[in-house]
Amino acid sequence: MLCENCHQNEASIHYTEIINGIKKEHHICMDCARRLNFAGMSESADSEFPFVRLLTGLLAGNSAQVEDGPMMHIKCPGCGMTFDEFTMVGKFGCAECYGVFGPLIEDNMKRLHGDSVHKGKKYKKQTEQTYDNDESDVLPVMKAEKAEKSAKERISELNMKLREAVEIENFEEAARLRDMIKQLKKEDTTQGGGHNA
Amino acid sequence: MLRWFEEGGNNSDVVISSRVRLARNIRGYNFSYKMSDADAKKLVKNVTDQLKNVSPVSDYNSYNFDYLDTYQKMGMRERHVISSYLEKQDYAAGFVAPDEDVSIMINEEDHIRIQAFAAGMNMQKAYTLADKMDDIIGNVLDYSYDQKFGYLTTLPSNAGTGMRASYMLHLPALAGNDKISGLIPEVGRFGLVLRAMEGDNNRALGDIYQLTNLVTLGKSEKDIIDNLDNIAEQIIAQERNYRKQYITKRKMTALDMVYRSYGVLKYARKVTLNDGELLLSQIRFGLASGLIKADGFDESNIYQLMIGIHPANLLMISNKDMDEEELEIARADFIREHLPTIH
Repeated sequence: MLCENCHQNEASIHYTEIINGIKKEHHICMDCARRLNFAGMSESADSEFPFVRLLTGLLAGNSAQVEDGPMMHIKCPGCGMTFDEFTMVGKFGCAECYGVFGPLIEDNMKRLHGDSVHKGKKYKKQTEQTYDNDESDVLPVMKAEKAEKSAKERISELNMKLREAVEIENFEEAARLRDMIKQLKKEDTTQGGGHNA
Repeated sequence: MLRWFEEGGNNSDVVISSRVRLARNIRGYNFSYKMSDADAKKLVKNVTDQLKNVSPVSDYNSYNFDYLDTYQKMGMRERHVISSYLEKQDYAAGFVAPDEDVSIMINEEDHIRIQAFAAGMNMQKAYTLADKMDDIIGNVLDYSYDQKFGYLTTLPSNAGTGMRASYMLHLPALAGNDKISGLIPEVGRFGLVLRAMEGDNNRALGDIYQLTNLVTLGKSEKDIIDNLDNIAEQIIAQERNYRKQYITKRKMTALDMVYRSYGVLKYARKVTLNDGELLLSQIRFGLASGLIKADGFDESNIYQLMIGIHPANLLMISNKDMDEEELEIARADFIREHLPTIH
């Protein structure tokens, strides 16, 4: 059986993941296991959970492959983390990474946690109002004042919303988003900073 | 002042401690993985400066890695004041409550880790302590927070609440009956992890295991703790059941084992860490199940000995470098000095 991560080597590590009672078999090769810190599984309780890192890495890697490549070139404007690097280390490089990579690994977050929306304590500074970075119900184009966001970041956001729109079969919205992405890419390329993502 | 692990608590026959750890990051800095040394230094200095005059942090003991040697850091890790991740950092600082129940670590895997302990099974107390400190720090510093992903953390597996709640459990009967490996996948189905605090999962050092939540996103802190409590109670019931069976069916064997362990600890002149933890685990079991008694000393007092026989603590007491054999001799001395008289 071939490794599910690299699809090149023979898988020699087989494990069963059970999340929310749903069983799933995984098969990976030694090289990928080492790269994804699989050996760290037996670290002492005081350290973090490398198993989760492995899981994130694997699943994120898979979804990217399904999306056929271009995602691997997405880069966080905040810290310079690439999607490739992110799936390799399984760590966010800065707060902005959540906006860039968060939507791309949303399915994995759901599988990891059983949900992808925070329901716990809300952060509120006593002297200020609650932080509200949620823009899910406001299209980025309506937030023209957010000009500091890079074109790439906006494209990745729109791509995510496009996927969501297709998923809920809101094709009218999807078409609108598709055109916006096209327009943005055109602008980005003419400014010389683009790539064919 | 008694440190948290020197106090008694609920269900102390099985539960050693309750711990809550919150992961927080500050706006304006990259997370640890993308942080430069210069920024790390800046983070440590700025956070320390901003917190040191805020009550009650102003009454806490503070530390900075610039002024700590290897053994001091090791000792703090052995007492759970700092994490093993922090111990390995070049630049770090923090604040510790006088009884060491609350600890603030700066420049951990996340910019700030708040940790609170309570003796025995009392997660509510641990959570309240951590939550209050979180409010205090969050009011002085700007946390990275997002309405969808909650508290933004380095690891996707910590996002949301950023909270890990853990029970430290003493499970000699379950471990002795080889039941841990079967329990691990069981608790996994509930989004929890059970694993050895130190040593391997089949036989943890001192039979001490940690039960922790894995899921941090999409559930409230209360729901996470309720779920953890449910499973912890079931593990406690199973552990008690195996202990009871052992004592009723093989009482003389159980007594013999506890007294033998006591004899070795009382008279040995050299003790390895593994042996020390194993033998102390038997004494803890003996005290918790009423097989032996000691005046003014019960099972909840054993854990401080289990911490005390770790290398850095022994080195700090002796105040000199020691090789392995000298450490084993110092360990035996330490145990003889602190072991109560039983009857």
